[in-house]
Amino acid sequence: MNSGQSHVMPRELPAAWDTVTAALVSPLSPNSTTEEAVAEALAMLGCYRLAQCVEGWLLETMQVRLTSAVAPEFWAGLEQPENEMEERDRARVLLGAFRTLLARLEPFLGGLERLGAWQEEGRAGLCGPGAHGLRERALSVIRAILLFSPSALLQDRVLEFYSRTFSVHMSQEGEGEGDGEEGALATERGLCPGCAVPPSQCWCQEALEQLGELSHILSRLQLLERVSSEAVTAILHRLIEQRMERRCRGEYESSFLSDFQEWLERVLGWLSRVFVSEAGGSDTPAGGAASQPGNAVLQRWRCHMHQFFCRIYVNMRIEELFSIIRDFPESKPAIEDLKFCLDRTNQRQQLLTSLKSAFETRLLHPGVHTSDIITVYISAIKALRELDPSMVILQVACQPIRKYLRTREDTVRQIVGSLTGDAEGCSDLANELSRADPVTLETQDSEDEGSDPEEWTPDPTDALTDKTGSKRRSSDIISLLVSIYGSKEIFIDEYRTVLADRLLHQLNYNTAREIRNVELLKLRFGESHMHYCEVMLKDVADSRRINANIREEESRLPEEEQPAVPLSAMILSSEFWPQLKEEKMELPPLVSQAMEAYTHRYEKLKAMRTLSWKPHLGSVTLDVELGDRTLTNLSVSPIHAAIILHFQDKSCWSLEELSGALGVPQEMVRRKLALWQQHGVLREESGGRYSVLEVGASRERPEKSVLLIDSDEEGDSNTTTQSEQREEKLQLFWAYIQAMLTNLETMTLERIHSMLRMFVATGPVVTEMDVNELQAFLQRKVRDHQLIVSAGVYRLPKSSH
Amino acid sequence: MASQNMDPAAASSTAALKGSETGGAAAKGSVSKRLQQELMTLMMSGDKGISAFPESDNLFKWIGTIDGAHGTVYEGLRYKLSLEFPSGYPYKAPRVKFITPCYHPNVDEHGNICLDILKEKWSALYDVRSILLSIQSLLGEPNNESPMNASAAELWENQEGRQHCVSISLPCCAVMQRVSIRFPTDL
Repeated sequence: MNSGQSHVMPRELPAAWDTVTAALVSPLSPNSTTEEAVAEALAMLGCYRLAQCVEGWLLETMQVRLTSAVAPEFWAGLEQPENEMEERDRARVLLGAFRTLLARLEPFLGGLERLGAWQEEGRAGLCGPGAHGLRERALSVIRAILLFSPSALLQDRVLEFYSRTFSVHMSQEGEGEGDGEEGALATERGLCPGCAVPPSQCWCQEALEQLGELSHILSRLQLLERVSSEAVTAILHRLIEQRMERRCRGEYESSFLSDFQEWLERVLGWLSRVFVSEAGGSDTPAGGAASQPGNAVLQRWRCHMHQFFCRIYVNMRIEELFSIIRDFPESKPAIEDLKFCLDRTNQRQQLLTSLKSAFETRLLHPGVHTSDIITVYISAIKALRELDPSMVILQVACQPIRKYLRTREDTVRQIVGSLTGDAEGCSDLANELSRADPVTLETQDSEDEGSDPEEWTPDPTDALTDKTGSKRRSSDIISLLVSIYGSKEIFIDEYRTVLADRLLHQLNYNTAREIRNVELLKLRFGESHMHYCEVMLKDVADSRRINANIREEESRLPEEEQPAVPLSAMILSSEFWPQLKEEKMELPPLVSQAMEAYTHRYEKLKAMRTLSWKPHLGSVTLDVELGDRTLTNLSVSPIHAAIILHFQDKSCWSLEELSGALGVPQEMVRRKLALWQQHGVLREESGGRYSVLEVGASRERPEKSVLLIDSDEEGDSNTTTQSEQREEKLQLFWAYIQAMLTNLETMTLERIHSMLRMFVATGPVVTEMDVNELQAFLQRKVRDHQLIVSAGVYRLPKSSH
Repeated sequence: MASQNMDPAAASSTAALKGSETGGAAAKGSVSKRLQQELMTLMMSGDKGISAFPESDNLFKWIGTIDGAHGTVYEGLRYKLSLEFPSGYPYKAPRVKFITPCYHPNVDEHGNICLDILKEKWSALYDVRSILLSIQSLLGEPNNESPMNASAAELWENQEGRQHCVSISLPCCAVMQRVSIRFPTDL
C-alpha cells in the first residue's frame, strides 16, 4: 500500500511498523525502553510518511476484531447458559458479558488514547482529531457494530436487572415501608424486600455493586444511553402506573401530588445510581467537567419522569372523570391534582372527548332519572369550574347534557322543585339559591366585569366559537340551568305552578317558606317577573284575614242562623294564578248553602267582587258517626265528603244514583267509593249498590283486601298539565283566527301565522307555534268544516256567524 | 270622569318641559300594549255578533264586524266598520266609521256615526268591545234626538211608534208624545 511512495524499502521499515502497531494494541503499559523504541519506529514511519496510516489501521483493526470476534463473543456470552438460571446468575452473566466486552476493547481504547496523544504532540508529523476525537470515533464504531442488531435478550436482561436494583434501592431508601407490591409481598413471605429471596441469600448489596460496575462499564463505552434508556423508561412507566393503580384509582378524596413528588425524588436516587458513573469515576480527559453532563442527564430524566407521571395521572383521571364529577365535593383533591397535571400535558382534547362520551353512555339514556341528571350536571358545573376556570371544558363537555335535558319533559319541574328545596335529596340548588351574592340573571350578561384588562387571557383553542365569544362564560349554576331553555319565563311559570300546588295543597295559610323562596327568586329573576307569585302569596294572606273576618261575623249571629258547615276559603285572584283544573261536581245542598252564605258575606266585605268556587280543590275534615263506632277527624277530598254526605239521607245508593246526584261520571264515583270501603264505612252489595255498614262486620276488617284504587289520584297536581294548557292555547288561537277571518275575509297561512305572532298577547303562558303546527291545526279545522281553504287562502264558511 | 280622560303622559310631558317629545315613544308603547290587551279581551269574551281585528301589521287600525241584533230590522245583516286609534288612545276616542253603507238615523252617507260615547262622553274606561256593543245596540235603538240621516229617522219613528204603542209603557216622555201625535195619521 505504500510501495508506490518509496523506491527503496528499507529493511527497518516493516520492523518499525510492527513496533508501533504492537505498542498501540498491547495492553501492557509502556515502559521507558519500549517507549524509546516506539518513538524511534514512529519517527521512521514518519520519514516514509506512513505515520498517518497508523490511525486508519488501528480503527480498521478494531472494527475487524469487533465484527469477527468481540461482538459475537459478547452476544454468545449473554446467551451462554440458557437454561434455568436464577435471576441472580442472570445478573452475573449480564455483567460478565459487559466485562469481557470492556476487556476486549480496552486495548484498542488504550491504543487510540496513545495515538491521540501523539497526534496532539504532533510527533512524526502526525496530525488528526486528537485523543478525544479518536475516542469518539472509535466509540461510535463500537456502538454501531455492537448494537447493529441487538437481540431482545439484552433488553430483557437489562430490564430485569434494573428492576431488581430499583426495588433494592427503593427498599433501602424507603426503609422497609413495604413499598411496591413485590416488596410487600416479599416481606410477607419473610423474603428480603429488595431482592425477593430469603434474607440469608440476600444479594441486595451485590446487586447494587453490580449496578455500579455495569453503569461504569456502559458509561466508559458510552453505551449507557443506548442500553439503559429504554429499560429505564419502561421501568418508570410501569412503576408509576402500578403505583398509581394501587394508590390512586378510585381514591378521589386526597391529593397524591406531594406524595408522588416525594416518591419521584427517591426514584431519582436510583436514577443517579444508574447514570452516576458517567459523572464520577471517569478518567477521560473531560473528566473535570463530567459532573455537569451527569447532572444534565439526571435533570433530563427528572423532567421525563414528571412528564410520565403527569401523563399517566391524567390518563387515569380522564377515565375516571365521570365518577370524580359524581362525587364532586368530596373528590375536590382529585380535581385539583388533575388540574395541575393537565396544565402540563396536552390532553384537554382527550379529556373532552372522553368526558362527553362518558356522559352520553352513562348518564343520558332513558334509564336515568331526570333529577339524577340534574344532580350530575350540577356537580359537573362545580367540578369543571374548579378544573378549568375559563369554563371552556364545562361549556363544551356539558353541551350534550343540556341538549338532552331539553328533551325531558320534567326537567323544568325538577329544577324548580330542587330550587325550592322540595325535591328529594337534592338540596344543592336550594343552597345555591340562598347564597349570599346571587348573580342576577340580567346583569351577568353585561360586557364589563370590572376585571383588569391586564388579566385577560385568550380562550383555549378548544373553546366553542359561538356568539358568547370571549365573554366570560357563566359558571353560576342557577343561571346555567335556567339557560338550558333559553328563557327564564318558562321557569317562572313552572315555579308559579309549583307554588300554586303547594299553597293549594296545604290550605293552612302558612307561607313563611314560600315567601322566603319568592324573595330569593326575586333577587335572581328580578322583581317584575315574580310579580304574579307575590300576588299569589298576598292572596293567601288576604284569604286568612277575610276568613277570620267572616268567621267573626258568623259567630255573632244567633245560634239558629249559624252556618251548618264551618267554611274557610282560600281566595285566589284568578288573573294571577295558573290555570286550575276544572272538575264539575254537584255539592250537597248543605254545603252549597254554606258557600252561598260565605259568598254573600264576601261580597259585602269587598264591593264589586264575588267568588267563584272551585269545590274540588278543597279539603274536608269530618267525623263519621256509625252505629257502633265513630271515625273522627278524617281529612278527605270534597268529593269523598259529598259521597258520604249523601249516605246520611239514604243508606243505600246505586252507582247510577250517586253519579246522578253528584254530577260525576260513574267510574270516578266508583274509585272514590273505594276510600270509604277501605275505612269500612260502606259496603258494596250485589247489583252495584252501596250501603252503610252501621255495625262493623268483623274486627279483622275484610275490607283490607279491597284494592285501594283511589291512591293514584292523590299525588295529582291541581293545576292543569302542559297538554291541557296547550289545548287551551289552541282554542285561544282559534278565537283569534276566527276574528281575523271574520274581519279580513281571506288570508294565507303565512299571513295568519304572522298575525298570530304579532297580536296574540303573550300572557303568562308562552307557547311559540311554528307554521307547520299551525297548518296542521288549520287542516283539522278544515276537516271539521269550520274553515274553508281554496288556493292556499283560508276563509270562514258562509254560515258561521 | 274628567280626570280619567287626562293622558298622564301628555300631562307630564307638558308639565316637565314644553317642546320635548320624551314621553312619545313610551306612550306609543303603552298604547300598543293596551290595544293588544283589548284584542285579547275581545278574543276571550266570545261575544256573538261583534268582532274586530287589526287590519294589517298596524295595531292602530282595526276592522270591525257587527251583525244586526235579533229582533231588529238589521237582523241578518253584517256591517263592517273601521276603527282608527289616535296615539292618545285611550284618553282620546277612536275614530269609528261604517265601511258597509248603513241606513240608520245616526249614520250619515259617509259612514260617520253619531254616538255620544265616541264624542263628548268618551271615557278611557271604554274599550273596543264596549264600542262595538254600543254600536250594535245603536242599530236597534237609534237616538232620534240628533239624527244625521233625517229620512231614516223619520222612517224609524214610524215603525218605532208602532212597536211602542203596542208594548212599551213609559220609557221616555218626549218620544212618546211625538209618537202619540203621529199615530192617527198613520192609521
